[in-house]
Amino acid sequence: MAQLNRRRFLQGGLAGSLALTLTGCGLLPRTTGPAPDQYGGALGLPDGTFGVGVVDRRGRLLWQSPVATRCHSGCNRPAADEILFFERRPGWSFYVFDRHTGERRYHIRAADGEHFVGHGVFSPDGRWLYATASRYEEGEAIVAVYDARNGYRRADTFDLGGIGPHQITLHPDGDTLVVGLGGILTHPDYDRIKLNLDTMDPALVLMDRHSGEIVGRVRPGHHHQSTRHVDVGPDGTVYVAYQYQGPRYETPALLSRLEGGQLREIRFEDDTQAALANYIASVIAHPENDLVAATSPVGGTAVIFEGPSGRLRARLSLPDCAGIQPLAGGDFLISSGRGKLVRLGGDNRPTELASLPVYWDHHLV
Amino acid sequence: MQRLTRLLLACTWLLASGLAVAGDTTDLDRQARHLWYDGILSGYQALAREAQTFARVAGDYCQAPEQTTLAQVRDAWQRAFLAWQAVRFVDFGPVENDNRAWQFQFWPDPKNLVARKARALLTSGAPVTREQVEQGGVAVQGFPMAEYLLFDDAFGTSDQALPATSSCALLTAVAGHIADNSQQLLADWQAFRPHYLDTAQFRDTTLRAGVAALEILEERRLAQPMGLRGTGKRSVYVADAWRSGRSLAGIEASVRGLHQYFFPGLALLLEHSDQPELGPWIDAQFGEVLEHFPALRQPMAPLLAPEGHFGALQGLYVDLSQLAVLVNDQAAVALGVVRGFNSSDGD
Repeated sequence: MAQLNRRRFLQGGLAGSLALTLTGCGLLPRTTGPAPDQYGGALGLPDGTFGVGVVDRRGRLLWQSPVATRCHSGCNRPAADEILFFERRPGWSFYVFDRHTGERRYHIRAADGEHFVGHGVFSPDGRWLYATASRYEEGEAIVAVYDARNGYRRADTFDLGGIGPHQITLHPDGDTLVVGLGGILTHPDYDRIKLNLDTMDPALVLMDRHSGEIVGRVRPGHHHQSTRHVDVGPDGTVYVAYQYQGPRYETPALLSRLEGGQLREIRFEDDTQAALANYIASVIAHPENDLVAATSPVGGTAVIFEGPSGRLRARLSLPDCAGIQPLAGGDFLISSGRGKLVRLGGDNRPTELASLPVYWDHHLV
Repeated sequence: MQRLTRLLLACTWLLASGLAVAGDTTDLDRQARHLWYDGILSGYQALAREAQTFARVAGDYCQAPEQTTLAQVRDAWQRAFLAWQAVRFVDFGPVENDNRAWQFQFWPDPKNLVARKARALLTSGAPVTREQVEQGGVAVQGFPMAEYLLFDDAFGTSDQALPATSSCALLTAVAGHIADNSQQLLADWQAFRPHYLDTAQFRDTTLRAGVAALEILEERRLAQPMGLRGTGKRSVYVADAWRSGRSLAGIEASVRGLHQYFFPGLALLLEHSDQPELGPWIDAQFGEVLEHFPALRQPMAPLLAPEGHFGALQGLYVDLSQLAVLVNDQAAVALGVVRGFNSSDGD
């Protein structure tokens, strides 16, 4: 614990990257969302074990809880003081913690024949949890619905009509679930082998959260654009991020925007495309402006672009960067698997805020 | 407008710095990719050759078991398996197509799917067809399935033991599949040449492949069965190729393959890096690891036994982990390549 409390604000430049400016203050910026004074995330720890934890604005680990296997992402429960973390795919459970103290309230195991895939989202009133999951023998993508008010009892199951669901989020209309359907068939007996690359059929799926009815299914331009991560801007614009499954020497678009019922691809110039290495780990549309951030740990690159135009505004070289958190005021916080927290905004002036002896996992919560 | 100018300046600076580095290293990187390309090509050629031989010998044995012996088939399997071990570090390019690497070797197999699949295929007694192998998934299609048929103790004493008709049909179908896969891999690697040589990213991709292979060698192929990780229990069953007793021979072949096909490109890059001394050190450390052979070309299980010569494994482990430190922690870092917590995660 003492080791994790250690915090260094760097005095110099970010090695091999853009020059730094000093923060000049001892506090991390506030985030947007329900817990503006906290940064939560799944963690890898220096001794090789895994945990989940929350860092406060002083960069101190507010609490940390050990978990048996690596977790991936999670969500804050609205109108309650709970934070959830899902185990990494194939996830056999999720954990519910008191957001302030880290007290573990629930450990919910996946139903027989199902596993989670690392993501979930709540209804606006905090009652219903919608978790993407897979019926792995059949290879069927589902949304598993849990009733948080009744001890996270399983309440319903919605069929996504496809394979390999991943991130799920809620449209600002409060009714529509936005789901990335990666299209890739896996089975827990076969490690993480991709079993259907030839026939994969990824899609963005829009679903009515009350009825489970699919109200939209949009396919990317190429069947190898695995549609994993999704987010929605404050104006309701849906953004999706791909992980391209074709050859590495090809550099297809990795991001797109839902427009007129189609996915309009967002491409950057060749150098930036190559730097993203055909892999996006997170995409976040800022709730206060029209900027969108995306990260590629494989390419060690984070970008910020204007959502409506796709115009590149910032590009940061940060090894193993993955997590993104929108900050109050319009910037983004980027985390890395090497413990870095870097502030990046549309002005392309990255600022390293903290370096902690933990490996931040794919998503900030 | 002021903000735009600032952005442009920042971007220009970024591009300029990138180009400055690129200008100095483009030729060198290309030379390194040439070395790697040619090395991997000869590795794939050897694999294609040995896999062809294995398929032929398996076919001969099943046609006339009185003329070709089981020992000959086992020997041919081993040669092909070791040729695969030598190129197993290549985790990019055409070996990614159709999960070919997994098709060659489904491992780890904690649920013993290979044996379960074999039993399921052989239950009916009817000869297994090539079609069934093509459709059977990666646990059916590669070296471990052939190894099960050729080496598994319990299977070898059952009434389905080779050269029983149905088992022979499965063996020849698997061997044929391995041979075809090897041939196709070689052809695809030849077609891949311009892409590999012209795409700068393959420098880091190749370096990461070597790093990952050493990590797997040290951690999963050696430390885990030795009980140095996880539960702390020694168990040969978490090693690969335990049925044939070739776990250690496989490690040797993989280290030799890395030395032969991966190291030359690495050495070239290191020679022109800030730490040119690393190249000769790594070369010498490859030598230290390989000095344990041929003495250690023996089954791992007896060495893991309480009364076994565990010290011999410890000696290999120490030298292998020293090699991993030099390559993964020093050389890769000197060349700006590190495997990340997230970048190697794939989710």
